[in-house]
Amino acid sequence: MLKRRSFFIIALSSIFSGCALVSNIDNTSPTSSISKTPIVVSDGVASFELDNGLKVIVKQDHRAPVVVHQVWYKVGSNYEHNGITGVSHMLEHMMFKGTKSVKVGDFSKKVSKMGGQENAFTSSDYTAYYQVVGKQHLESVMQLEADRMRNLLLDEEQFQKERDVVTEERRLRTDDNPSSKLYEQFNAIAFLNSPQRIPVIGWMQDIRNWQLQDLQSWYEQWYAPNNATLVVVGDVDPVKVKEYAEKYYGIHKKSNIMPPKPQLEIPQIGKRAITIKGATKLPSVIMGFQVPSLVTASNEDGRKEAYALDVLGDILDGDDSARLTKFLVRGSKKLASVEAYYRATSRLKTSFSFSMTPSAGVTPEQAQQQVWQEIKKLQTQKVTKKELNRVLAQAEAAYVYRQDSVNGQAMVLGSLASVGLPISTLDNWIDNIRKVTPEEIQAVAKKYFTQDTLTLGILLPNGEKVKKLRGASSHGGLR
Amino acid sequence: MKSLIKIISLLSILLISSIAQAALNIQTWTTQNGSKVMYLYAPELAMVDIELKFDAGSARDGKQWGLASLTTGLLGTATKNMTENQISENFNEIGAKFSSAVSKDAATISLRSLTRDKILKQSLATFNKVVAKPVFNKKILKREKARLVLALKQAQTKPRSIASKAMWQGLYGKHPYAHATSGSIKTVKKITTKDLSRFYKKMFVAKNAQVSIVGNVNLAQAKKIAKQITSRLKKGKKPPAISLPNPLVKAKTNKIKFGSSQTHYSLSQIGIERGNEDYTALFVGNHILGGSGFNSLLMEEVRSKRGLVYGVYSYFAVMKVPGPFMISLSTKNSSAKEADQVVKEILNGFLRDFSDEKLQAIKDNLIGGFPLRMNSNSKILGYISMIGFYDLPLDYLERLPKAIAKVTKADILKAWQKHIQPERMLTVMVGDPK
Repeated sequence: MLKRRSFFIIALSSIFSGCALVSNIDNTSPTSSISKTPIVVSDGVASFELDNGLKVIVKQDHRAPVVVHQVWYKVGSNYEHNGITGVSHMLEHMMFKGTKSVKVGDFSKKVSKMGGQENAFTSSDYTAYYQVVGKQHLESVMQLEADRMRNLLLDEEQFQKERDVVTEERRLRTDDNPSSKLYEQFNAIAFLNSPQRIPVIGWMQDIRNWQLQDLQSWYEQWYAPNNATLVVVGDVDPVKVKEYAEKYYGIHKKSNIMPPKPQLEIPQIGKRAITIKGATKLPSVIMGFQVPSLVTASNEDGRKEAYALDVLGDILDGDDSARLTKFLVRGSKKLASVEAYYRATSRLKTSFSFSMTPSAGVTPEQAQQQVWQEIKKLQTQKVTKKELNRVLAQAEAAYVYRQDSVNGQAMVLGSLASVGLPISTLDNWIDNIRKVTPEEIQAVAKKYFTQDTLTLGILLPNGEKVKKLRGASSHGGLR
Repeated sequence: MKSLIKIISLLSILLISSIAQAALNIQTWTTQNGSKVMYLYAPELAMVDIELKFDAGSARDGKQWGLASLTTGLLGTATKNMTENQISENFNEIGAKFSSAVSKDAATISLRSLTRDKILKQSLATFNKVVAKPVFNKKILKREKARLVLALKQAQTKPRSIASKAMWQGLYGKHPYAHATSGSIKTVKKITTKDLSRFYKKMFVAKNAQVSIVGNVNLAQAKKIAKQITSRLKKGKKPPAISLPNPLVKAKTNKIKFGSSQTHYSLSQIGIERGNEDYTALFVGNHILGGSGFNSLLMEEVRSKRGLVYGVYSYFAVMKVPGPFMISLSTKNSSAKEADQVVKEILNGFLRDFSDEKLQAIKDNLIGGFPLRMNSNSKILGYISMIGFYDLPLDYLERLPKAIAKVTKADILKAWQKHIQPERMLTVMVGDPK
């Protein structure tokens, strides 16, 4: 059974999930250092900032002689505007095409020769690059990554070819995939003026019309030490990391970063709906409601709402005992599958959404009614102590399980820093969800899940018969 | 600053671990009623991963395609004394993760749990009942069949699924690897709870089981856990070996017309089984050809130089009996024929020769990257389970990098020419290739 909580990520090959950030030790110990940029150790995580504004986060994990090194830039599709959508993701592809001192393709070759793995990914909120290497190679990958922060060479011929690659990527992920298309168009009406509506990969029309100059400007605008976070997790010494960071990243000058305009979503004053048709045999439905996140909340009450929504998400769909699966897939059997999705760490106002595939013979309207019934229950009855305890137990276990992966740990730290949340969000996660009361959950369910604030997306089969295997034209071939 | 360094170095000493060492201290034994156990002590995190694996994959379905998958999928939905909701509550209320998976070779049931006494006790008690005392409930089977049939219908609208199905059918014909693990709509509809019980009784038996354990449980605890898991299983016996598949004797092309904007393409041939003597040479060669991401020949030529694809890969599925070798990609319909041509040229060129520089680069990558393959409990579990299930030597993970270092270009070319013949390969295209 699929679980909730997965970031929507467009990556070359990485899909990652997990965002329940918890911890139970609290040994915050600011150091009495003479350096202008002291290393602060909190909950086993060391952090400091270079003079040029680069934030650095280091977490030690000495289980294996391996280290993950990541650089996160605060730029993604929700920094973009119409006409250039997808440019952050395209720039991520171009970052492998060489600098003044590293030839096209050599970045990957060098990391590969070290025995390393490397890649990059782009989301709506950030763009990140990573290498996983034996610890003795940390300095080399820091040197390489620091180089392309400022010295990228954008070439017209490479650009044209890579645009073709991204076009194929879009066909593969979205154009030939009706449920991805449904999500893309649902999201574009869930947000009418907020850039949250922009698909990470970009609209095909925009992909076709990017100019090399668009990428050059984007690179100059956002790729700077004071718009980035460096995350290192593994068998390392934070003091050494600081030394390398100063040596390689410290040489770059600060930029004048103009933060994106707020572009707050206009109030929703009635239901928004879209129906699309596609080459599918089964209909599917997405219901979404605009909600705040920990980042968009302007005060403590707002943050409490975000934690309440997060716990509510787990009560509905945190595991296979959760309400949606228990009552709608196993109980009434009206839905073949159903998921609830909410990301409390989104940079902008986001959707709390429900995606579902109705069982055979169940209409999209009946499927929605099923979800509304569960919403009504949340609005009229308090959730039980038992349910809350289960959510907490899962969060505590997830905290331990996550430590099995150095990548997973780095992901959480980098994503928090990139949306502007303090690292202590991680330390305090369990405490904050433990404070959520049944009354608060009921209150957010009433406030946000209403008929007039619903955005509805429906995918219907286009009725085309899937063309039969008329080509089963084997020529030759004996066994 | 000094005090900080002290704190940090103290921490490092405390956290020094066993998995950092090159040689894993894998231990193995057989339980009283005949199950193999694979175990590695990893005390750094307060958790344990336990896996129970049976030689009961879809290759054991017989004519009832989907039988292994449904049987395994229904474990954890009912026992004599527990309902589906009680079982999931029992795991979830303590944060334990229960899951199952079926491949062509194996049925696998997994548990991840914290090792705090009370929690481990509860998760194991539930796990043991679920795997050894299942009840196959008619209503639950009916529901799961209905969901599966919907998913199978939906798969017919996905060009990637259609291409994969065509590849397996085209290569394996009537062999038990030919059909999809999830079965077909026709076969799934006919499966009953009696079929599940029969399959369970025959296949989910101690002599056909392997237990793998990695985590914060010591040897004595591991022995007890393995004993408890397997002691309630019937002793039974191992199933007979799966028959060998017959390779194609001539090239074959299967074009399936489909209304997608891309053509999904594969070029394949039956490859090798686990334990094959040519494994290292084929493995290293495959990383040069198409198994190492951006630095492989296929990615360089088809993606970076020509912009034809987002991804292109080559892969040996190494199984109980020879699994397929395949190259796969997807590209817009108008460049499908070009991609087909380029892939075949690259493969032919590679079979004749490749640069020494590429060989050295890939050796550096594979040997240098070895610690990355073993830097988490879940990755280690995967390896020790594979070593046990396919009867590989216990020091397999130490031997492999040494073998990689030794392999020569001549070894690689010889092995590839022996196993891969372009004139006997299957080409599958799903889309509207032009």
